[in-house]
Amino acid sequence: MRWLLTPALLVVAVFAAALSALLRYSVLEFVPGSLQTGGPTVANFTGIMSRQYLGAVWDTVLLSAATTALTLVASYPVAYVLARTPSARVRSTLLVLTLAPFFTGAIVRTYAWMLVLGNTVVTWPVPMLFTARGVLVGLVHFSMPTMILLLAAAISHIDPLYERAAASLGASPGRVFRRVTLPLSMPGVVSGSVIVFAWTLSAFATPELLGGGRVKMIANVVRDLALDSFNWPGGAAFAVMALAVTLALLAGVGRLTTPADRGA
Amino acid sequence: MARAVVELAGCTRDYGGIRAVAGLDLVVYEGELLSLLGPSGCGKTTTLNLIAGFVLPTAGRVRIDGQDVTDRPAHQRGLGVVFQSYALFPHLSVWENVAFGLRERRTPRPEIERRVGAALSLVRLDSRAEHRPAQLSGGMQQRVALARALVYEPRVLLLDEPLAALDKKLREEMRSELREIQRSVGITTIFVTHDQAEALGLSDRIAVMHGGRIEQLGAPREIYERPATRFVAEFIGASTVLRGRATGPDRVALADGVALRVLGLAGLRAGEAVELAIRPERIRLTAGAGENVMDGRVVGVVYQGVQTELTVEIGGGQRLLVFVAEPAPAALAPGQALRLHLPADAFMRLGPAGEGAGR
Amino acid sequence: MLRLAVLVLLAFMTLPTVVVVAVSFNPTAILSFPPSGLSLRWYVNVITYPQFQRAAWNSLLVTAGAVALAMPIGTAAALGLARGRPRAASLWATVLLSPLVVPGVAAGLGFLIVGAALGLLRSRVVLIAAHVALVLPFVVRSVGVSVRNLDPTLERAAASLGATPWRAFRRVTLPLLRPGLLAALLFAVIVSLNEFVVSLFISTRLTEILPVAMFTYVVNYTDPTIAALSTLFIVGTFVIVWLADRFLDLGGVFLHHR
Repeated sequence: MRWLLTPALLVVAVFAAALSALLRYSVLEFVPGSLQTGGPTVANFTGIMSRQYLGAVWDTVLLSAATTALTLVASYPVAYVLARTPSARVRSTLLVLTLAPFFTGAIVRTYAWMLVLGNTVVTWPVPMLFTARGVLVGLVHFSMPTMILLLAAAISHIDPLYERAAASLGASPGRVFRRVTLPLSMPGVVSGSVIVFAWTLSAFATPELLGGGRVKMIANVVRDLALDSFNWPGGAAFAVMALAVTLALLAGVGRLTTPADRGA
Repeated sequence: MARAVVELAGCTRDYGGIRAVAGLDLVVYEGELLSLLGPSGCGKTTTLNLIAGFVLPTAGRVRIDGQDVTDRPAHQRGLGVVFQSYALFPHLSVWENVAFGLRERRTPRPEIERRVGAALSLVRLDSRAEHRPAQLSGGMQQRVALARALVYEPRVLLLDEPLAALDKKLREEMRSELREIQRSVGITTIFVTHDQAEALGLSDRIAVMHGGRIEQLGAPREIYERPATRFVAEFIGASTVLRGRATGPDRVALADGVALRVLGLAGLRAGEAVELAIRPERIRLTAGAGENVMDGRVVGVVYQGVQTELTVEIGGGQRLLVFVAEPAPAALAPGQALRLHLPADAFMRLGPAGEGAGR
Repeated sequence: MLRLAVLVLLAFMTLPTVVVVAVSFNPTAILSFPPSGLSLRWYVNVITYPQFQRAAWNSLLVTAGAVALAMPIGTAAALGLARGRPRAASLWATVLLSPLVVPGVAAGLGFLIVGAALGLLRSRVVLIAAHVALVLPFVVRSVGVSVRNLDPTLERAAASLGATPWRAFRRVTLPLLRPGLLAALLFAVIVSLNEFVVSLFISTRLTEILPVAMFTYVVNYTDPTIAALSTLFIVGTFVIVWLADRFLDLGGVFLHHR
């Protein structure tokens, strides 16, 4: 049945060709004022080490970590109810409310947060729009649907019998959650966290609009380099770095979540 | 001599190094109902799939009506198949399910109407034509599957554990209904089952399969009363296997010195090792003395309503399974001493092929 | 406690949507909430702004092209995965889903470099190719759910009744895949219509799709026109998601039910 896969693999090959072009440009010399490139060089990668760019990398990591932590805390209760509610109505409502922002698109969502954060609704005690705080709020909101779905999937895999068993052994609802539900949902927590972290590392629209040019994450630097300065090699080097970190993280999560039940 | 309809000649099928069917020869005759009986993994379903054309043999030929169909794909073999899960198309009505095969044969519409109607009334489902399969009970689904497989008058009907998904009561009803329909249509039928009662009750002939081979092929009574091998004796009905050595044409000494007289076992030569089997319902409780009478002690009691199953230990640690019809002549309890009579004509001799077959 | 927390969190998730819808009816160019009146002038602005008209047309072409290609390709792949050997299938599945994990800017810049080298940036070819790659994982996944629910003996049954493999596919397999195909279509359309980052890199003023045009507008203007356009987007997706939840088993795609 290999022939059924061939067209799809062709599509992936086109995608791979684009990435290999990116890879090639990342090690070619940038000629300012031209889209032509020079010979092979590692200057693009050493360029990342300059203070201005390192700041963006550091901000990206900090923002991603904070986003992941906040998203996890905010998503768990919703995911729990989504997975455990006996009412089809409640589940359906939660699912639609969770999925709708997922489907609404980056620009619409981010624009909405520009309105909310920009003192349109309430006057914030501290500046929100065009600050890292504001970007963080937007990123958490952006990541919640993904996290909720991953957590809900993990929680719905847990047989409620385990929770009943724990209760029959004398555990209070709080203890049942801490000693049974939470540990059993760890695969979802780990994979959800890593995926959100990885996606946030390459977030673009949220910092671009909510950061207003004052908060720069890696993807925004790539855009500035590639589309404003026409420095495709520089942008490519940055993008390759983002790609490498993302793949490393996701490979890590694959290793963390799959062999656990096989080994030992 | 009846006409051969299905012939398997030296059919072998391997699945990645595992031999599911090993050099099978089998002939199925016109109008008969032949059961392939065996435990799961014995190769019976693979044999059915070879006949249906769902899997191709690694070696050997398949013939239908004398024509070699080994290389013919399933949809050109013109057989009727009833699947264990029924495999009714969930998106089609009962009527459409039954009409499926006729449509594939481009049968004219009025003819389809007539035949589907007849098939549905044969299985007493005229009133359910517009229902979806999911709206029917298991027994009804089973009958739809049967109607669907019969409606285009296939040469052979293949049934893959068709009763396995039904509960016990319904299974017994469907068993007799199936037999009635098969007889009235007169279609050559191959029936795959792991249920010995089903095979004994339905079949003209039974092929007992084990390890990808046919262990014994014969009429139900022959299989039950004269099992050829230890495997058949143990798989069909219950039995106790006794090992010993012949001391004369009608004499066998068991390992522990118990001497038995045996009748009806031809060709017993003094000095040769023999394996005998005895059915638990043939062993009698007795008070008297005589040949083949021995004392024992009850070590296990299982009350079954219609009978009580006893495990009785006789001399030398040999254990016998004994069925005592209820109501039992005496209270039966573990530890109790009993006297047993093993009638001389109740012994069956197991062939040397024994459990080695298929390995 | 739990219920309160969930309500607060849901409010957080829906707050921006509510604000956007309210602001879109604002009569003045200065944003205020709650609005000081009701007006449809920003909707008129959306419809009459030439760049939005052009971008809407581009969105339609790119999405239609990408979905028309990705649906059959993805469906074939989902069937191929289900019929291959399990170990090989899981490897191929990883390969097919891999575009999902590549950062948008990396894919975008990569397509930009390739498109420039081939001189294709003035046409929509690169946009459509990129969208096919980005949409394909969703199609493979959604159809895959239906394929896994398919009982393989049904095709055998069809064959035993005399149907050729192609007839069996048309009469049995395809009708039973319908829920998965519909879900795939839904995902493909929504993902493609909303794609932004990759498209930003590879579109010009003439080929840009709606999200890119909206982005440019937001960066340059502050009036509620985008709120009006966003409202249209939100209403559209809400209706689609709601319909999908009614007629398809969305939970089945995302959650595991016992």
